[in-house]
Amino acid sequence: MFWTVTLSLLEGTAAAAELFFLTLIFALPLGLVVSFGSMSKWAPFARMKANIPAWLRTFRPVSLVVRTVVWVFRGTPLMLQLLIIYYGPGLLWNNNVWGSGTGGRMFAAVVAFILNYACYFSEIYRGGIESVPRGQYEAGLVLGMTRRQIFFRVTLLQMIKRIVPPMSNEIITLVKDTSLARIIAVTEIIKVGENFMRKGMIWPLFYTGVFYLVFVGVLTLLFGWIEKKLDYFK
Amino acid sequence: MAVLEVQHLEKRFGATRVLEDIGFSLEKGRALAILGSSGSGKTTLLRCLNFLETPNGGRILVNGNCIFDAADPATQRENEVRKKRLHFGMVFQAFHLFPQYTALENVTLAATLLAQERGASRDELAAIRDEGLELLRTMGLADRAQHYPHQLSGGQQQRVAIARALSLKPDILCFDEPTSALDPELTGEVLRVIRSLAERETTMIIVTHEMAFARDVADEAIFMDGGRIVEQGAARQVIEDPQNERTRRFLARYAAGGSD
Repeated sequence: MFWTVTLSLLEGTAAAAELFFLTLIFALPLGLVVSFGSMSKWAPFARMKANIPAWLRTFRPVSLVVRTVVWVFRGTPLMLQLLIIYYGPGLLWNNNVWGSGTGGRMFAAVVAFILNYACYFSEIYRGGIESVPRGQYEAGLVLGMTRRQIFFRVTLLQMIKRIVPPMSNEIITLVKDTSLARIIAVTEIIKVGENFMRKGMIWPLFYTGVFYLVFVGVLTLLFGWIEKKLDYFK
Repeated sequence: MAVLEVQHLEKRFGATRVLEDIGFSLEKGRALAILGSSGSGKTTLLRCLNFLETPNGGRILVNGNCIFDAADPATQRENEVRKKRLHFGMVFQAFHLFPQYTALENVTLAATLLAQERGASRDELAAIRDEGLELLRTMGLADRAQHYPHQLSGGQQQRVAIARALSLKPDILCFDEPTSALDPELTGEVLRVIRSLAERETTMIIVTHEMAFARDVADEAIFMDGGRIVEQGAARQVIEDPQNERTRRFLARYAAGGSD
């Protein structure tokens, strides 16, 4: 029995890992784009000659839209977002864009997770970028470097060093959040445990915790290693 | 011909006038000290020369070429501003070394990037490295080339920053209160380096509160107050025998040992 349960839970772990890695691969870069959006200083009316109210001069449409989106995704439960994203198109337009079966459910879950986590990551990036002293940027400028060179050669690594601790927190939360996908019937670890519980076995549910602990344990070692690697500068 | 000529430079932050009708010129190989109390506009002036601020009025000429004209937006395009910045080197009060690079990498980074942009050969890149090492050696830091900034003292960090500013061979080297973040013991080593640069006829603009140093090292001096130049002339004369009442009061406080 123990091996049957273990094998089933490993299958659930595979689904959780798929969701986890796909989310990371897409949400990490997307979050950076979102953070640039929320930091956008584009103000189309700032230099207008006409007599317009002061608030319109400081109006930054890109920043406003992006910050509103971030507010919505951080401000509502991920479980709700999963339900709306998976069932919404079918119920509203009679068009299930996700396709049927396991693949469709996983696809919808991945999209919901990417959007949600990109928003969380964007705020971590923003904090990291804004915490790099402005003098670093100016020192690059007076040396004739382009904005792109300054970002990639000067600011980025300093930002990465600063965001490793909050990022590792968020990524560990992501591991455990994958269990939310069972609300749209993705068979991840907890779902497998629940299935056994329905057959009258309680211990597999407790056993699921071990799988999360191992997953997070590996990540903790990895983040520790990254922090150590970046320890050579202050 | 003057290396640098500044004409009627003006800068406002909102309604506040920070610089008003600033004009001076600087000959090649000369050192100019900019003196004045905090908030008099000294730092803003340096930042305008390095295009870190955009002046609201006036012109800046380098070697007779107009590189900035507030009335002509064509002189303010970002792409060209980047090249024009290279006429000036800048040493900041707080060093602003790049922490993730060694002293040598700090010195060679900008030159290496420029060389890579024009597709330089491996030999050229090696030459940049050698020049960087040579610069660090003249700063007395040959044995610190592979150290990271946090492993260096404040005085050593500032000397690396000076080497970095010199790495692109600017026409004019600017110092923004280069010793204000250092304790008195470390101030000396940085001032010695600047003095030796003056002896080698480096064209320099030095914003400083070190009066004795300015008197000995600078050829000319400008005294600023409230965003205006109130007195300018030979450094020795401005500092030892000021004509303007405001300059006198400021310098008297220094003579009495007070700081501004």
